[in-house]
Amino acid sequence: MLIFDQLKKNDATLRNLALAVFAGMCLLVTGLWYIQVMSSKRYLESEKDQSFRTVRIPAVRGKILDRNGISLAENRASYNVSLYLGEMRKPFQQEYKRAVTGTKGKLSKKQREELELQSRLRVASGVVQYLSSVMREPIDLDGPSFHRHYEKRRVLPLPVLQNLTASQIARFQEQPAYPAGVDLEVQPTRVYPYGSGAAHLIGHLKHDDSSVANEVAFFNYRLQDFRGVLGLEAAFDQELRGQAGIKSVQVNRLGYRQAENIWATAEPGKNVVLTIDLPIQLAAESALRSHPAMGTNARGAVVVMNVKNGDVLAMASNPAFDPNQFVRGLSSTEAQWLLEPKLTPQVNRATQGIYLPGSIFKIITALAALEAGVLDPAEVYHSPGVYPIGRGIKDTAEAGDYNFRRAFIKSSNCYFIEYGLRAHLDRILDMGHRFFLGERSGLPVYGQDKGGIFPTMEWVREARRRGQIWTDGDTANLCFGQGMVAVTPMQMAVMTSAVANGGKVFWPRLVQRLEVQEPVPNENPSTMLPVRLRAELGVHARNLEIIREAMMADVEDREGTAHTAFFENDKATPVLKGMRVGGKTGTAQIMQGGRVVDHVTWFVSFTSPENPRYAVVVMVESGSSGGGTCAPIALKVYKELLRHEASGKPASQTVAQLK
Amino acid sequence: MNFEPTPRPGQTRFDPLLLLALFGLMMVGVAFIYSASMANESTNTLPWFRQNHFKQIIWYTLGAAIAAALCLVDYHTLARWAIVAYWITILLLIAVLIPFIGKKIFGARRWIDLGFFQLQPSEFAKLSFIFVQAHFLSRPMDELRLPGNFFKALGLTALPFLLIMKEPDLGSALVLLPVGLVMFYAAGTPRRYLLQLVGGVGLLIALLLVDILFAPENLRIPLEPYQRHRLLVFFGRDFAPKNASLQERQTARELQRDKSYNVEQALISVGSGGLTGKGWRQGTQNALGFLPRAVAHNDFIFSVIAEEKGFVGSLMVITLYSVVLFTGIKIAGEARDRLGKLLAVGVVTLLFSHVFINIGMNIRLMPVTGVPLPLLSYGGSSVLCSLIAIGVLQNVYMYRRSY
Repeated sequence: MLIFDQLKKNDATLRNLALAVFAGMCLLVTGLWYIQVMSSKRYLESEKDQSFRTVRIPAVRGKILDRNGISLAENRASYNVSLYLGEMRKPFQQEYKRAVTGTKGKLSKKQREELELQSRLRVASGVVQYLSSVMREPIDLDGPSFHRHYEKRRVLPLPVLQNLTASQIARFQEQPAYPAGVDLEVQPTRVYPYGSGAAHLIGHLKHDDSSVANEVAFFNYRLQDFRGVLGLEAAFDQELRGQAGIKSVQVNRLGYRQAENIWATAEPGKNVVLTIDLPIQLAAESALRSHPAMGTNARGAVVVMNVKNGDVLAMASNPAFDPNQFVRGLSSTEAQWLLEPKLTPQVNRATQGIYLPGSIFKIITALAALEAGVLDPAEVYHSPGVYPIGRGIKDTAEAGDYNFRRAFIKSSNCYFIEYGLRAHLDRILDMGHRFFLGERSGLPVYGQDKGGIFPTMEWVREARRRGQIWTDGDTANLCFGQGMVAVTPMQMAVMTSAVANGGKVFWPRLVQRLEVQEPVPNENPSTMLPVRLRAELGVHARNLEIIREAMMADVEDREGTAHTAFFENDKATPVLKGMRVGGKTGTAQIMQGGRVVDHVTWFVSFTSPENPRYAVVVMVESGSSGGGTCAPIALKVYKELLRHEASGKPASQTVAQLK
Repeated sequence: MNFEPTPRPGQTRFDPLLLLALFGLMMVGVAFIYSASMANESTNTLPWFRQNHFKQIIWYTLGAAIAAALCLVDYHTLARWAIVAYWITILLLIAVLIPFIGKKIFGARRWIDLGFFQLQPSEFAKLSFIFVQAHFLSRPMDELRLPGNFFKALGLTALPFLLIMKEPDLGSALVLLPVGLVMFYAAGTPRRYLLQLVGGVGLLIALLLVDILFAPENLRIPLEPYQRHRLLVFFGRDFAPKNASLQERQTARELQRDKSYNVEQALISVGSGGLTGKGWRQGTQNALGFLPRAVAHNDFIFSVIAEEKGFVGSLMVITLYSVVLFTGIKIAGEARDRLGKLLAVGVVTLLFSHVFINIGMNIRLMPVTGVPLPLLSYGGSSVLCSLIAIGVLQNVYMYRRSY
């Protein structure tokens, strides 16, 4: 062989030369083997490190849909005019060259860098100025933020004009050609088509592009993403947001984008389908705002529930924010309004606000007394007008003779104090606990689900040991919903439903199912969230029947507190055709230093005792009275329910009329 | 005497293996100069006849033609003109130092601009040096023992060496040292002289390195800053002097990073090629500009090959060179006389030095010096010289002894 022949030469000098060359070549091969084979992994990594940047691409966020598939929250494309810096390299260089030829002498490295920086800004400002003239509106390019973007996020487009309107897009497209590097950029953004409609239960998002659990934590760049911070957006954030994808961008030595490659596609989030019926929800909201004196600043809540299964058909709270504002960024007046201490627009009054129940609590007092066997509905009780306990509790109903029905519809406090005391505190508390007062409703509304206040017997005994004696006066107050009790409208809806449906206490259900956005064959596209019974009341059907009859009378009897709202001026013709409603009004007094400072007004109601379908609970803060303020609001909701049932049309069509 | 070529039947005039290896190297050269240049925005828009790879083909053709022409004349006749060629190149080396004639690129005067061609006299100086040295050393052995002749030969080496150092082109100058040494050795110079020579050169290099790397500023021999930096990079020395302030240290560190950049990127290119490489024209180091574009197609062409063809490709290149080198040694052994043998040995040593230094610098075995890779690196002077050198080899082979 050629090589070995030379190594075995007779001529010593040539043999040595051949040996030396052979040794040299072997050294090179060894070196190459070491670098290319033994340590290639290390070099491959450093090659990747210097030429790849990873970008987090957020997944398409799932929609929030009402029970008929109408979007309450969805995603739309938003358009930005952006600068693609990689395509502006040539003008940058040309401008720099021009700038360099203008200078004298040799420049230091620092001066050169400064000159480059200025050249870039000049080019970009020129382009933006041109854009501004095309778009016929002032566009600013902030120098420092441009430099920052150039240094830190060179591979990503730099938006100069965001969220274009349709006419702006048209104007942009009219221009046949643009300087290098100008283009439209499309970004998905969250949109709530109904604005403040159902705002509280939907909640809102905030800008957050950080990685969540089970996700790659390190990215060079992150694209705009959102995270739910309130309501369903927060409670179902993980399901809605899906799995972010990873895009790798190959960059060149100068950090400009060279090529793109999707490493992992983003997995879209799931749609959340609610039990909410949008037309009813919107009707409830507009009914709340229809209050003649308070209007849009009315502070109140409406809950509409299907009594047969606990499905929440509407859950309104007013005043309400517009979740769209959080996506595009709050203005300072908007932010200030959100923090308004009296309006508290961020509070979901239906589940988060806790209120004195007032007379609607008499339902529980009555049930406790009936179950204890101390109350005979036919028995006549003479009310003195002021109940002789403590300093005396003044009644709002006049003194006189009351049987149960009359006491209920005229809302006599003395009557219910009398029978409540006869039943004893422990029976009242027990009855309240059967409705889970003082406990959360288990709604997936992040941070909004409050349990309210309702004492237990242990608490009463514990307080006594601490010297805080629970007196009969306290019990008397509790009997008509004052004192040591606070409830949410949602809890009252559950209570009313249980009374209406014959004793079934449901977990209120807000979310029906989670749906895959893009169904895959052979895979179940949705996860159902079943109806869940929380408990049976365990009271006699007859006693519930008595309560229901009394509630029907409160509306239908001329003397009933809610009668005026539900009947025409002749006091005989019902306003609602084909739907009977029963209810109980309440006007709780907020005391401060022994004086009444404010009222909480209530109306809890249900439809048709023969075939109960809906429970409607209305609560308004600072209302005049339950019958005067809340019952008319409930009436409006019932009208919509009636119309809805009668039309039989798919709900989506009725929405169009509503909007 | 009869100097006519009289090959015996069965003896070829050309070595087929050598020709095959040369052809292979040229193919690789064109392919990877193409790959290296096409990634470059400023060159890939040029018309095809102005592209680097096409120009390289022209140089190959021209070089092959000159080499073939040289083979028409017996090397003895050529050697008689060696002294003339030598002095012409010495004149050119002086001329290149004159500001109006020599063209300065990156702070070094190495080129004479002929309009169509940037002549690099140092490349041709290497060739004429081999010729003149071979001619001088091929005198009878007895004469080599005379100190006067030894020092004359030494002077023949020193003159181009110093002139090329002055350009400055440290790499090209240093290549002359092994070529001279091996030729002294092959000529049969007495061992005493050789040892002195090796010792002297070794001492010189050692002193140089110690001076550059460790001496305080005022005791250093004058050297272009970038040459010092390259050596500092190679030996991993800190750029900042020991008593430097924090500020100085920081700028020194930055400088060091800048200066280490080429070497670092070449290493990443070679290393990331792995066993089989990323594929022709798929190398990212070159395409994305991490491997500096100015050097990717010439001094660092090996990085491009190694990245795109991996260890397998590197091995192939080394095999091709080995074929050329060992064929050269074989030709030296078969040469008709000492002149032929010395010429062949000189050419082999020259080519080997280039290959070793260039590939060595790609894998950090050698400091970065501007030594091209014969036939693969882009560049007219280098290609012409390599092909002429191989033409000389072929000449020695053609007019070898015929027994």
